[in-house]
Amino acid sequence: MSEGKMNFIVIDDSKLDCFIAEKIILNSGKCESVKVFQQAVQALEYIQAAATSQSTTVVFVDIQMPVMNGFEFVENFEKLSDELKKNYHIYMLSSSINENDIARVKGYPSVKHFLNKPLTNNTIQSVLEEYNP
Amino acid sequence: MDSSKKIKVLYIDDEPNNLVSFKASFRFDYTIFIANNTTEALQRLEENPDISVILSDQKMPGMTGVEFFEDIRTKYPNPVRILITGYADIDSVINAINRGHVFRYIKKPWTDVDVQSAIDEAYKFYVTTSMLTLKNEELQKAYEELDKFAYSATHDMRGPILSVLGIIDLTKNAEEMSEVKEMVGMMENAMLKLDNYIQNLHDHYSIRRGELNITDIDFEDVMKDMSDLYDISSRVKNVKFEKSVQQNGKFRGDDISIKIIANNLLSNAFKYQKKEGDDRTVSFSIKVENNTAVITVEDNGIGIPEKNMNDVFTMFFRGANDEIGSGFGLYNVKDALNKINGKIEVTSTENVGSKFIVTIPSK
Repeated sequence: MSEGKMNFIVIDDSKLDCFIAEKIILNSGKCESVKVFQQAVQALEYIQAAATSQSTTVVFVDIQMPVMNGFEFVENFEKLSDELKKNYHIYMLSSSINENDIARVKGYPSVKHFLNKPLTNNTIQSVLEEYNP
Repeated sequence: MDSSKKIKVLYIDDEPNNLVSFKASFRFDYTIFIANNTTEALQRLEENPDISVILSDQKMPGMTGVEFFEDIRTKYPNPVRILITGYADIDSVINAINRGHVFRYIKKPWTDVDVQSAIDEAYKFYVTTSMLTLKNEELQKAYEELDKFAYSATHDMRGPILSVLGIIDLTKNAEEMSEVKEMVGMMENAMLKLDNYIQNLHDHYSIRRGELNITDIDFEDVMKDMSDLYDISSRVKNVKFEKSVQQNGKFRGDDISIKIIANNLLSNAFKYQKKEGDDRTVSFSIKVENNTAVITVEDNGIGIPEKNMNDVFTMFFRGANDEIGSGFGLYNVKDALNKINGKIEVTSTENVGSKFIVTIPSK
């Protein structure tokens, strides 16, 4: 793996927002790989099936999605073994300006931050700085 | 006055003579129920929950009027209570009024005018309080909906706008024309989604606030409108669209509600199709008979999982992983049906298809 490059997972029911996130991530120059899921269930299955990741993986997950929403995804993720979880860093994304949602995000130990949509170059750069100061 | 519209009054007195003379005096003005004791009175209330005024004698063996009123207050909070007392039992009167159980008291021997005015006033009070309760319930519902709406609006209305802003940010760095074109196409989709949401919202409020406009309905017209909307979807998506109308006799109803219902059901039937297959079909049939219209929309699409069946009519509920659903469609259908006294039945099997049967009575 090249120096400072990371893996990414994007989970958003909106195809358009997935496309935006993917582009921004690819443009960041720090991307080793990026996986996009429009359904949270599939992302969870992917994480479960993947061999324990040795490299850092940043996960961007939308909050409001049908069937399994962002919160449910995180709750299910937190049930996984520590060994499996340790290299995933979750960021929750939403267009919602709901205080309750933002407060709720803080309650999940595995969630790093709440980010406002849309994902922009600036946001992703500040996320990346946390890993490569 | 139509007897069903008369004010329903219950009078309780242990003296049969009083009961008889009360009934004789007022039977033309009110629908009178009489009871010789409190047990009988409870029975009358049980049988006639729409009794709006209760008059009770204070001094009765077993239970006083005040005690009786206190007793029934939890179970029958709505009827307005009037106490009749034969002697200057001022203490019991003060007591009753202070406890808030009694609207008026009448002294024995009563005069017809006194009783009549007390009943009429009591009824006015009854109407106002029941209206208030009803309005409060409606208001409560409206508040809850508003909360849900405010929450969803930030997501469903802001979502597409933020997506477009994201794309605009991307186009700044795009070099290839083809890439830009692709992005423009995506922005178009986001705007169509937003527009669709706003139209649904508009439907929702026209159902909610709009007055019904009852006219003769020609279901051939309804069919034509729906064909105009969905023949294209049928061709583009390669889904067969089977249609039939059979109208025997006149039907009166609200055109807009009926079209909102048909439109939403068809939109879902075309939307929730399987990804591929040559036998994909939506069938739409209307049958009018015996003053009842039965509209059936059936598809062999993805169906509804059993665990979601109870939620499909809930506002903002989205059961599928598609990004077009607004969570408004079936909620609007149900709302429109409530307004025109219609009913809906759903049968659905996951991966087999769904069938919606709507029954609407003619006005």
